Amino acid sequence: MSKKVNVTIDGKETQVPEGTNLIDAAESVGVHIPNLCYLKGMRGIGACRMCLVEIEGMKAPMIGCTTKVKEGMAVNTKTEQVEEVRKFVIDLILSMHPLDCMTCTKAGVCNLQKYAYDFEIKESNFNRKKFGYPVDEANPFIKRDPDYCVLCGRCVRVCKEQGTNVLEFMGRGVGSKIGTAMDKPLQESECTFCGSCVDVCPVNALLEADRWRKGREWEYTTHNSVCLSCGNGCDITVSELDGSVVKINAGADDGSAEKYICATGRFGFESAMSDARITTPLKRVDGKLQETTWKEALEIVADKIKAAKDNTGIISTGNILNQDAFVLSKFASDVMKTKNVDTTVSLYSDADSLKHSDTVDIDNADAIVLVGLNTSQKDRVLPALDAAVRKRASRGAKLIVINPQESAAGAAATVNIQADEASSLAGLSKALIDAGCKADKDLSSAVSGSTVSEEIAKAAELLKGAQSPVIFCSPSLFNAAQNISLLLKTKVAAVPFEANARGVVTLGLTTEGKTYQEMVSGTMYILYAIGEVPVEKRPRANFLVAQTSYLTDFAKEADVVLPAASYLESKGTITNYLGKNKTVNRIIEPAGDSKQHKDIIIELSKAMGSPIRDLAAKIKGAKEISKPSFSPFEKKKGLDVNASELTDSLNASVLKNSKLVWLKEAKEATV
Amino acid sequence: MDIKKKVIKLEDIKKDAEEMQCPVEKSLYLITVFLKGPMCGRCFPCSMGCYEAKIILNNIIAGNSSNEELKNLKRIADEVLISSLCKKGKDTAKFLLEWIDTGDFDKHIEGICPEKVCPEFIEYRIVSDKCTMCGDCLRACKLGAIHGEEKKQFISGYQPFEIRQLKCTKCGDCIKVCPEKAIVLLDVKSGEPVKV
Repeated sequence: MSKKVNVTIDGKETQVPEGTNLIDAAESVGVHIPNLCYLKGMRGIGACRMCLVEIEGMKAPMIGCTTKVKEGMAVNTKTEQVEEVRKFVIDLILSMHPLDCMTCTKAGVCNLQKYAYDFEIKESNFNRKKFGYPVDEANPFIKRDPDYCVLCGRCVRVCKEQGTNVLEFMGRGVGSKIGTAMDKPLQESECTFCGSCVDVCPVNALLEADRWRKGREWEYTTHNSVCLSCGNGCDITVSELDGSVVKINAGADDGSAEKYICATGRFGFESAMSDARITTPLKRVDGKLQETTWKEALEIVADKIKAAKDNTGIISTGNILNQDAFVLSKFASDVMKTKNVDTTVSLYSDADSLKHSDTVDIDNADAIVLVGLNTSQKDRVLPALDAAVRKRASRGAKLIVINPQESAAGAAATVNIQADEASSLAGLSKALIDAGCKADKDLSSAVSGSTVSEEIAKAAELLKGAQSPVIFCSPSLFNAAQNISLLLKTKVAAVPFEANARGVVTLGLTTEGKTYQEMVSGTMYILYAIGEVPVEKRPRANFLVAQTSYLTDFAKEADVVLPAASYLESKGTITNYLGKNKTVNRIIEPAGDSKQHKDIIIELSKAMGSPIRDLAAKIKGAKEISKPSFSPFEKKKGLDVNASELTDSLNASVLKNSKLVWLKEAKEATV
Repeated sequence: MDIKKKVIKLEDIKKDAEEMQCPVEKSLYLITVFLKGPMCGRCFPCSMGCYEAKIILNNIIAGNSSNEELKNLKRIADEVLISSLCKKGKDTAKFLLEWIDTGDFDKHIEGICPEKVCPEFIEYRIVSDKCTMCGDCLRACKLGAIHGEEKKQFISGYQPFEIRQLKCTKCGDCIKVCPEKAIVLLDVKSGEPVKV
């Protein structure tokens, strides 16, 4: 831990870590230093000058966002002189800001409004200015209205830091505006519509496009939850009004590198409330799906399962909750008595890699290695990991990318090793051993023949100098990457493509019989599919049960369809790729008659006469701790998937039934 | 080709401004050139404050200002001096304060330019008693602001010489050529002649 220093802020004494700036230090004792341009976690730029404070013993006032605490510092945040400056700045901004708080969507959460209220400025004392720039509302995601912009530059910095680099200042001083390159509309720029800029805008200049007259912040109820769209499992904050979701924002702590959600996470929620949802159980009668009751549907399924002798199987996606996974594995072993239970996780990972993966705190990593993960925000392949890694890199961490193809992350890397992953890792180990790291016999003999290229030597040097290095790798390279942790105190995390992949394998949803791929392509008597499983054509099964939220192509082929609740309607936990348990909250009631996966399975077990109980207490991070030992530098076979296609097919219904469909259409229109 | 970018220094602008006579004129020149050139726009008080100061100074020089506006100008200078990010902003504020302190700004609000250079506050007039209708001023005026007919012998019924105020830019060219000293400079508000 870093050293603590004593400071006094407005007469309140406190201890804060060395290197903290005054705004954060003041926040820790409950004193708010006004600011418009400061963003927690990023270096201050001192543009708005609102955070001026007076420090005893100094002649001139200092700005809070860039001044670091010193031992014995005494700070006054509310002297007459600095209050005057704050009023002056707000007064000036108000002279060029529309005064339409009564209809403004951001009313209540607008920083400018708050400060004008605090400083008792009804209207500006200065001459009114208006520039009349056109509003960019050509896309269905983000609306940009330069008239409201206060030129704080938060959006520009957040966009730069995460590596998208779309927004930039145009011009200088008053009359400048925020725009894209060549001032094109967002969809013609490199924008990924992640909406990070919307989250940081202090005023109404950047807003979700459809927020007009959909209630204002104080009318919403906000809930914390987790997005299950991809392997990142990002924290989200969901705003709900009258039983429907209005918007979703990034939910991670301010200042954390993980505070990011992609377009799918932010704008995909509409699908949960769309017509594409299945709201009642369906059964196949004369080749057509017809609505039926829960009782009847469950009886049909129960009878079929009872009648089946063998060759039954369960397939599931990896984004069901821990509670669902627990009940499902109980159901498979105790009720259905089948060994054929597997998830989509097996397409890209072995169970051990995820089970033994380290718990990682990305915010403290000072050297990050990406092995075989072609992360991309544009193609939405683990976008949050990509953003987090780039943010860490912008904040001073060293980034090393090992990828055989040219990768987007590689361009931002300190060292980009464009070579075969396994042999590069072997070379890296050799370079580390050469640099004096102790290794056992197996490891040193295994790498003795490896070549150390210039880049690898550089990477080894960076890793050796790092305090808390982290390796993120694709599961197929986990064991090879773990060898590095035998040499250095490196944490190694295998990154799956589904939010709860780690949770489902930990809870035993790994097959002892047929694998997912075998069940989907082979012949089964009964196939029970949970979630939106990516299957191209109907599997050869006598009886097909689909338990999903949407009428997917797969569900259309099923004999019985059981409506399941979406992730916004379920309650439970997940274990994300970093090893953290996160809580998923029920934000809206399940659509129609749909039920959460575990409730359906419990009902089904009752219908079969051997009810299982929901033993929630047993699901507590059943993490196996294993001591890493040497394993050969190899890439595990059969785990190569196209991550972008897999993610898209797992989220196909969400992409098809929300505004996100526009992205695809716009892309097709331009080609 | 190597294009040399000319970096304008604030001191140079100040030097240029000092060659002018009226403090309001000086301030307006300084702020205008500063906004166009060296102002970086990296902090709010300086970039927004100077923009507002320019509007106020333009109002003052056009005679459309008020005491409230002058108070605002003073406030801008005071606050920018405290809060500007860099020396450029602070210096601009310092110069502005220096000039405001001369008291000439208040006079402008009252309608008087003590240095008698601000066009809105002065007026050139032809004293018809002294005018000999020689026509020198007519030829000297580039803008055709002077109307009148040259005197010709044995002809009566002249149109007398006079200056059309709307066209006049107060350049002072006419006053230099008048052989009879028949053109005078007046203070608009008081109507009293001004020594040139």
